[in-house]
Amino acid sequence: MFKRTLLTVMALVLLTGTALAKDIVFATDATWPPMEFVGPDKEITGFAVDYMKAAGKEAGFTPVFKAVAWDGIFAGLDAGNYDAICSSVSITDERKNAMDFSTPYFKVRQALVVPKDSTVKKIEEMKGKTLGAQISTTGHFAIKKVEGIKDKSYDEVGLAFEDLFNGRIDGVVCDDPVAAQYALQNDKYKNALKIATIIEAGDEFYGIAMKKGNKEVLDLVNKGIKAVQDKGIDKELQKKWIGQ
Amino acid sequence: MNEDKKRSQDIKPVVIEVGDGAAIPSRGDRGLVSAWKLSFFFAVATLAYLLIFRPTPYVRLIKFLPDGILVTFQVTIFSILLAIVIGLLTGLGRISRNKVINLVASTYVEIVRGVPLLVQLFYIYYALGQFVKVPDMVAAVVAMSFCYGAYMGEVFRAGILSISHGQTEAARSLGFNRWQTMYYVILPQAWRTILPPVGNEFIALLKDTSLVSILAVSDLLRRGREFASESFLYFETYTLVALIYLIITLILSKLVSIMEERLSRHVTR
Repeated sequence: MFKRTLLTVMALVLLTGTALAKDIVFATDATWPPMEFVGPDKEITGFAVDYMKAAGKEAGFTPVFKAVAWDGIFAGLDAGNYDAICSSVSITDERKNAMDFSTPYFKVRQALVVPKDSTVKKIEEMKGKTLGAQISTTGHFAIKKVEGIKDKSYDEVGLAFEDLFNGRIDGVVCDDPVAAQYALQNDKYKNALKIATIIEAGDEFYGIAMKKGNKEVLDLVNKGIKAVQDKGIDKELQKKWIGQ
Repeated sequence: MNEDKKRSQDIKPVVIEVGDGAAIPSRGDRGLVSAWKLSFFFAVATLAYLLIFRPTPYVRLIKFLPDGILVTFQVTIFSILLAIVIGLLTGLGRISRNKVINLVASTYVEIVRGVPLLVQLFYIYYALGQFVKVPDMVAAVVAMSFCYGAYMGEVFRAGILSISHGQTEAARSLGFNRWQTMYYVILPQAWRTILPPVGNEFIALLKDTSLVSILAVSDLLRRGREFASESFLYFETYTLVALIYLIITLILSKLVSIMEERLSRHVTR
């Protein structure tokens, strides 16, 4: 009798174990509200985090989020410290050479944030001024593309906004949901900053980055993203986190 | 009786050999090759090898870095000069008989020594930045010298206290006042004791300037990080950055040892 119970329990554990499916460790730089950031309960949260949790439920994997600094996040992927990066990584050709990307999960554009009293309408009008961005983000690349603008790179986008608020730089370029978070919703900044313009540089998409040839993770993540999009969960999350 | 005699013959006189004492190498005793030459040769040879035989990433990389090296130099030199002034004032304040000056200097040392440099940098740049608008380079130099001034103050204090009190007594009995005693008698002698640890602080300061990259100051480390995260050439970038820091540090340490030699030229031991 005892033996049989034990066996049943063991079988159940084994079965649920396989049914619970594998853990995928996602690296995330949790300084990019509202996409991924550390919430008041000290947990990593945000749009992308909820998205991956939903995708995991659909495709049968458990996402585990690991806080990693943006600077060096790709080196860590290369070194195998985690399976994938879920950190608002824009899909670019240079990055595609170094890593694989999932199907896009979010469309993003670059926004220029300036002080409220500024009259700037285009990034080209900022010639001779200094613009800040997080180091090696697509926002930073967008500044470098325009000639005559001094660029300043920060470890975190929040530090760039603090410098803009303190008047040390003339603007910040970053992804539009992040710009909206700081310039429109943040209690400290919303009366001092505004979004001047969306930079026309073609559309960008966020993707989940993983090591080249890691097909198992790629397939699972793609399956999850597709299911989330088919069921319209992404629209709900967008309403919850970004509000459109 | 016989046995006793024999035994007494066996006892040999104990000879205690007096040697030269502990093996402290004399001045000018350098051995085959100095550690400085070895390190410098290693650093320069590696750099040359990489630039000549692996030009693809390294030449592009070294063209990217010069303005960063310049910024690192600037921050280091201005911080060292300011830190020496702050350090001297602090050191003198710490041995002052005026209770207020002494308390101010000691409190400054205790507080600065107890807060990590990185936190001080954040504080001076971002927290005080809300009230005082200073350019990033100024903030970096102020924070670096503010921190190292406290350490150097302790070095100066120790050096001044190492001079025998008899020197002060002699100078005072010759009619020097307290400032003259300090300026003409104590400090010139203390400087010799102070210089090696101060040189050490110089080098530590130079390396710690890498922390100012957190203030978005584009120093050598920041330039390297920008290059690395754009090109994904992490290994190559940080190899080169490490070599450049090493070469700059070695040059600085050579300057310090030249100064040491100059100061001890007239000292015979």
